[in-house]
Amino acid sequence: MKITINGKEVEAIEGQTVLQASIANGVYIPHLCYHEKVGAAGKCRACVVEIEGMRGLQTSCSVPVRDGMVVNTVSQSALNAQKLVIDLMLSSGTHDCLACEQNGNCELQDAAYFLGIERASVQYGEINREFDTTSEFVYVERNKCISCGRCVAACNTTVVNQVLDFGHRGHHTEIVFDTDKKMGESSCVQCGECSQICPVGAIVDKNARGKGRPWELKKVESVCPYCGVGCKLELHVDPRTNKIVKVRGVEDAPTNKGMLCVKGRYGFDFVGHPDRLTTPLIKENGQFREASWEEAVELVASKLTEVKDKYGADSIMGMASAKVTNEENYTFQKLIRTGIGTNNVDHCARL
Amino acid sequence: MLEQKIMDRIQKLKDRYPRKESALMPALMLAQKANGNYLSEDDMNEIAKFVGVTSGKAYGVATYYTMYNTKKVGKYHIQIDTNIPATLMGAVKVLDFVKKELGINAGETTKDGLFTLDEVECLASCGTCPVIQVNDVYYENMTAEKTKALLDSLKKGVMPKPEEPVYFGGTECNVLLKNRRVKNSTSIEVYKKNGGYKALEKALTMEPAAILNEVKTSAIRGRGGAGFPAGVKWGFLAKGTGKPIYLVCNADEGEPGTFKDRQIMEYDPHLLIEGMIISAKAIGSKLGFIYIRGEFDWIADILDKAVEEAKADKKMGDFDIIVHRGAGAYVCGEETALIESIEGKRGQPRMKPPFPAVAGLYGCPTIVNNVETLASVPFIIEKGADEFKKFGYENNTGFKLFGVSGCVNKPGVYEYPMGIPFKKLLEAAGGPKGKLKAVIVGGLSVPILKADELEGLNMDYDACIKKGTMLGSGGVMVINEEFSIPEIAYRTIKFYAHESCGKCTPCKEGSYTIVKILGKLLKGQATQADLDNMVRIIGSVNEAGSTLCPTGQAFAMPIKAMYEKFNDEFKKLLK
Repeated sequence: MKITINGKEVEAIEGQTVLQASIANGVYIPHLCYHEKVGAAGKCRACVVEIEGMRGLQTSCSVPVRDGMVVNTVSQSALNAQKLVIDLMLSSGTHDCLACEQNGNCELQDAAYFLGIERASVQYGEINREFDTTSEFVYVERNKCISCGRCVAACNTTVVNQVLDFGHRGHHTEIVFDTDKKMGESSCVQCGECSQICPVGAIVDKNARGKGRPWELKKVESVCPYCGVGCKLELHVDPRTNKIVKVRGVEDAPTNKGMLCVKGRYGFDFVGHPDRLTTPLIKENGQFREASWEEAVELVASKLTEVKDKYGADSIMGMASAKVTNEENYTFQKLIRTGIGTNNVDHCARL
Repeated sequence: MLEQKIMDRIQKLKDRYPRKESALMPALMLAQKANGNYLSEDDMNEIAKFVGVTSGKAYGVATYYTMYNTKKVGKYHIQIDTNIPATLMGAVKVLDFVKKELGINAGETTKDGLFTLDEVECLASCGTCPVIQVNDVYYENMTAEKTKALLDSLKKGVMPKPEEPVYFGGTECNVLLKNRRVKNSTSIEVYKKNGGYKALEKALTMEPAAILNEVKTSAIRGRGGAGFPAGVKWGFLAKGTGKPIYLVCNADEGEPGTFKDRQIMEYDPHLLIEGMIISAKAIGSKLGFIYIRGEFDWIADILDKAVEEAKADKKMGDFDIIVHRGAGAYVCGEETALIESIEGKRGQPRMKPPFPAVAGLYGCPTIVNNVETLASVPFIIEKGADEFKKFGYENNTGFKLFGVSGCVNKPGVYEYPMGIPFKKLLEAAGGPKGKLKAVIVGGLSVPILKADELEGLNMDYDACIKKGTMLGSGGVMVINEEFSIPEIAYRTIKFYAHESCGKCTPCKEGSYTIVKILGKLLKGQATQADLDNMVRIIGSVNEAGSTLCPTGQAFAMPIKAMYEKFNDEFKKLLK
C-alpha cells in the first residue's frame, strides 16, 4: 500500500505500524518505549505524530498503516510534544553522557540530537537514587532510567524470568526486582535481557563499564559455544588488546532474537584465559607435554583399537559434550556406534 | 505466615472472581489489617504466590495504591485531606493544629508509635470538610476543638464513634436523593416501601433491546464527567464474541469537589443495584462489579449488605455483583485503569483502541458506567424516557446531582434538572461565604470561572462549554477573595502529580515539573522563564493525544485557566 509521510509517498506493508513504516522508509521518529520484541506500549509519547482525519496527536508506535494515510511526523504540534517528552526525560534524571557506557549507543541521546536539545530546560536538583552494583554482571543506575518499561516487559514476557516490575507511581515510579530487592539478592538469573533492551544507560553490563566506547569496539558475529541451541551473538572486541569486552545477542537471529543466557552473555572470560588449552597435551611419566593434533589423534585411535581388540567394543563408552552443536553430537555418536561398534554413548546434559 | 482464617478468606476471594489474580488487592488489604495496619514483605510474597502473581507484581501493586502501608505506621493513622475543597473549608488549620498537638510533621510517626500523620488528597468528603480519616474511619466537619477531643480520645486508646456529618443539600427532582433523609433507607424493605424495584418488575417484562432503546432515547449522558451518552456506549458492545459481558459500575469518585455518588451508595444502595440489574439485562451481562474507592470502606460494606439483601429477595435473577474496593488511586476513575485494577494490577490506563466495549475486563466486552448514571436507569425504565427528558433540555436531559463545596454557607449535594441557573444552585447552597472570587464548576479538572463569568451560566454540558468550561462531574467549588489563585493552582497540580500513574512521560514528569515551578513561585523564587516553561508544558500536554489518558488535560486545563485568568496574581509573586 501507499502512504504519505511528510509529503512524500512511500510504500508500506499491511500490518505495519506508522512507526515501523516510517523507519523502513528512512524517516526517523523519536521513540523510546517501543521495541519490536516487546511491542507498542504507548508510554513514552515521544513518537507522536499527526495523521490526517484523526483527532489530536497519535502514537505512531500503535497506529496501523492504512492505504492512503497521510502522516506528518514533523508538524509543529508533533515536534513540540516530542521535544517536551525528551526535555522532561532529560530533566528527570542525571543524563550525563561523558562517561556513560551507552554514549553513542543511546536512544535518548539520538532523540535529543534529532530534536536539537542541548540540555534539559528544568533541573530538579534532587535526583539521587542509589546505584545498584550488587549483581555480578549487571549494573543498575536508576538516575538514568526513563521508565520506558522495556526491561520490565522483556523480563516478564520475552524471557519470562518475571523478576523486574514497576514499583511506586507518578514521578517516583521505579523499576524493582521482586519486592524491591537489590538485584544481586533478587531471584534474577542474570540473563542480561534487560541490559540488552535498555535504550539508555540505566542497565548496562557491569564488567564492560569503562572498557571501550561503542564506536571503538570491533563487532564480531559468532555463535555461542555453550550449548546446542546455537544462539547468535555479537562479540564486542577491543582491537588494541584483542580482548572481548562484552557480548550482545543478535536481535534478528532466528534462534534467539537477541536473548542469551547468563553463560552466553557473561561467561566469555575463558576465551582469553591463560589456563585455556591451545594445543593437545599428552601425559608421559606423570607429566603433560605439548603435542600436535596428528600425534594426539593417532595415540587415542591406537589406544582405543587396543582396548577394543583386547576387551571388546562394549568396554568402551563415548561421552559427548553439551558445548558442541547438535550436528557435532550426531557425528560423535555415529563414530561410537559405527566406528567403534557399541551403543555405549551418552551426553553430559543427561547427568 | 498468614493465619489460616485469613488464608481462608483469601481463598474465598480467589473463588469469587473470574480470575484469581483479582483477589490480590483485597488479599493484601486483609493481610495489612490483620497485621496492625502494616503490609509486610513476607505477607506480600505469600499472597503473591497464593494468588498466582510474581513478587514484583505484588510489590508494584502495594506501592502503587496509597492505602497499602509498606512502611510501619502508628496505631492510629491520621490522614488529613488538604485538597482544594478541604483547604477552602479550613483543613490547613486543622492540619496545623494536629501537627502542633502531636509534635510531628506530615509523613512522620510519634515516638510512642501511637500516631502517624499524613496529608492526603481528596477523600470525597467535600461537603463535610475538613475531614480526618483515622485508620478506616472518617471524622467529618472537623474543627480545632473537635480535633482536640478526637486526639484526646485516641490517646486513651478509644476510637470514638464518628458524629453523623452535617449535610446540607436538597432535591427538586426527588429521584436520586428521594430516600436521602429517610430512616433506614439502606434496607431493601424501606426501599421497596418507597416504590423501589418497581422499575425492575417492568424491566423483566421487557426485551433487552427495548431497555437499551429506552436508555438511548432518554439521551442520558454519562454522569462521571466525560458526558458520553450511555445508550450509545451500550450500543458499542461487541456482539457474538462468545465471551462473557461485564457491567462495571464506576464508584471511584475521586475527582476533587465530587461527593455525589456517595450520597446514592451510602443512603440508597438499592437504587444503584436496581439500576445495575436492569442495565445488565439490557446488555446481557451476568456479572457486574462495583469498583468503589478504598477509602469508602464502610460504604462498600453497605453495598455488600444490599447485594446480599437483593439476592435473598430474589431480585438479582442470574446476575451477580462483586463489590471491589480500590486502594487509593485517582486514575482508577479512568475506565481502563479501573479495569486493570479489578484485574489485580497497578491501576494504569491502557492504550485505546481497543475500547472496553470490545475488549475490557479480562479481555471481554465490558461496559463501565458511573454510579449516578446507573442509578438513573430505574427512573428511565419505570417512567419512560420521555418523562426523563422533561428534566433539562435537548442533549442535556435529566436530573443531575451537584455537589457544592468550598466557600458556601450550606455545602452539600443538590439534585436539580440539567440546565438550572448556576445562581439558583449557589443560592440553594446558602450563597457564598465572603466575597465570591471564582468557581470551579465541574470537579477540579475543568477550567476555573471568574465571578464575573458566572452571570448567565446554566449548569449543563453545553452551557458550560459555551462559557469555556465543562460540567464534568458537577462538583462545584466556590472560592472567595481570601484565597490566592497561585496557591490553589499549586495545590491543584500537587494533587495531579501525586495521582499521576507514572505510565506516560508528559503527565508523570510534566505535573511534577509544574509542582516544582509553582512551589518556587510561592516562595518568591521563580522567574518569568520558569513560568514560560510551565506554559510550554501546559500547552503541549493540553494537546489531545500527547498523554496516554485524559489526566494530562485534566491538569493542563485548570492550570492554564488559573494562570491566564488570574495572571496578575502569578506575576506578583515573581522574584
